Amino acid sequence: MLELQRNVIFGQFVDTGSPVHRLDVRIKLMSTALLILASFLIDGFLGFLLLLPLLVVLQAVSRIPFGFVVRGSGIFLAFLAVILVFQVFFYPGEVSRGGLLWEWGFLSISTDGLRFAALLGLRVLLLYHATTMLMLTTSLVDLTNGLELLFGPLQRLRVPVNELVLVGVISVKFVPIFISEVERLSRAYTARGVPFDEGGPITRARRLGRLLVPVFVGGFRRADLLTTAMDVRCYRGGRGRTKLRQLSATMTDWIVLLLVVAWVIAAWQLPALLLS
Amino acid sequence: MNEEVARETPLVELRDLRYSYLEGTPRAVEAIRGVSFSVRRGERVGLIGPTQSGKSTVVYALAHLLRLKEGQVFHEGEDIASPGYDRAALRREVGVVFQRPDFQVLEDVVGKDVAFGPTAAGVPARETRERVEESLEAVGLSYPEFRLRYVHALSGGQKRRVALAGVLAMHAPLLVLDEPMAGLDPRGRQELFELFKRLREQRDLTMIVCSSSLADTSLLCERLIVLHEGRVVMDGPVNEVIAEAERLQEFGIALPGPVALAREMRKVFPDLSPDLLTETELEEALLARLGANRA
Repeated sequence: MLELQRNVIFGQFVDTGSPVHRLDVRIKLMSTALLILASFLIDGFLGFLLLLPLLVVLQAVSRIPFGFVVRGSGIFLAFLAVILVFQVFFYPGEVSRGGLLWEWGFLSISTDGLRFAALLGLRVLLLYHATTMLMLTTSLVDLTNGLELLFGPLQRLRVPVNELVLVGVISVKFVPIFISEVERLSRAYTARGVPFDEGGPITRARRLGRLLVPVFVGGFRRADLLTTAMDVRCYRGGRGRTKLRQLSATMTDWIVLLLVVAWVIAAWQLPALLLS
Repeated sequence: MNEEVARETPLVELRDLRYSYLEGTPRAVEAIRGVSFSVRRGERVGLIGPTQSGKSTVVYALAHLLRLKEGQVFHEGEDIASPGYDRAALRREVGVVFQRPDFQVLEDVVGKDVAFGPTAAGVPARETRERVEESLEAVGLSYPEFRLRYVHALSGGQKRRVALAGVLAMHAPLLVLDEPMAGLDPRGRQELFELFKRLREQRDLTMIVCSSSLADTSLLCERLIVLHEGRVVMDGPVNEVIAEAERLQEFGIALPGPVALAREMRKVFPDLSPDLLTETELEEALLARLGANRA
């Protein structure tokens, strides 16, 4: 509790200077989008299994320790596990004959329910891993630039791309700030006699409720400060702004993208071909 | 006498304390690399060092606000990280005043905030009220006037006083102050300084004052511990530490104005005492010196 940042890594940027960090941000964004797409398209365990080596390579090349990612996702994983348990017990779909393993009132466990929950779990994990790796390996500035460039053409349709991207990126990057705020407050409470490092999960969760209002108010204050800071530095959207560092994708970047595309298509289509 | 003092268990003892923030992650930062010292009851110790020297980490460790390993921090001879140790009791004994009052004040109204600690500790309402009044008056805020004031409408100096009152209301025998003077104007500093001096005389407190400024601590404390890059580099009575001006400068710590002036003057008057800490002391010494010359 007192060092929450070790347990929630969402939104953090960890610079290891790896090739993944150096990839063109647009390529990274497109690859992430592809992986997200894959998480919806793939419809079987074999497909996810085929995709696994890609993720392993990505993790290894990024030089971000896997253990760090896992521990930093503890809260998320626990949450996911609870949801999946509910999925299994309350499986709404049609249960095939002989698939029912256990039943008690409205609760049931069936092979269909288990399969559905497992696939759902894999989808969410893939989604989470892909976006987390993107955040861990991409700085705030790169992320903003990349998104602005990618969605730039939409500006012709009068979509306020710059503003939307900025709001999106800020909200993601506020997560670690909120977390350090929670850390700071829980330290203050603990020092003043309301311990956040003791008691069972329910006591701790109840105590967390106390932090809601101060964190929320702090968020508003911070947002206010940020707007002033942007005003002071004459921020008026990114339109017409030139950049010192121009993004340019090299051959390697394109090859990586091509590889990801091929891999995703393979993981999506191969199982059907293999099984038919 | 000395033996008796030596036999007495120190109130606080750090034994080779090491600490890394975000340990086990790629963003780990080593803040403390083996700090050992002990503080006896009633002692007033200044912990000085430039930013990033590990002062705040030591402060957090004293009240067990970090993940601690066993065998590193002892309170009244007991290992505060040992399983089953009553941390709640420890935090009632160690009153920590954080660097920024915003990080400490938890309620919106002054009176409520000062009452926070005693209430959490289960002090009866009547006694809590008395403590709130007594603590607010002790920090120089009038109870009837400030009791119902909103914290966010107070000035920086007043907020700091409220934070301090909140800690005093816990009646903790050990007071740990993290950069108590930072961000205050000269008048606010002077007032707070007078307040600490008063507290020191009126209450039987053990005090640990952290600061990057030698001027703030040298007058409040009898002993100075200098931290540099997470290690203790000097530890001794104020005058002994101040006498080693070159080493202090090496660690990025500037001498207080009057002390630096006295050092320069000693080049002209070599018999000037090296223990002068304030302008007044320097002035008196110089007058005596000049008077002696004239006679």
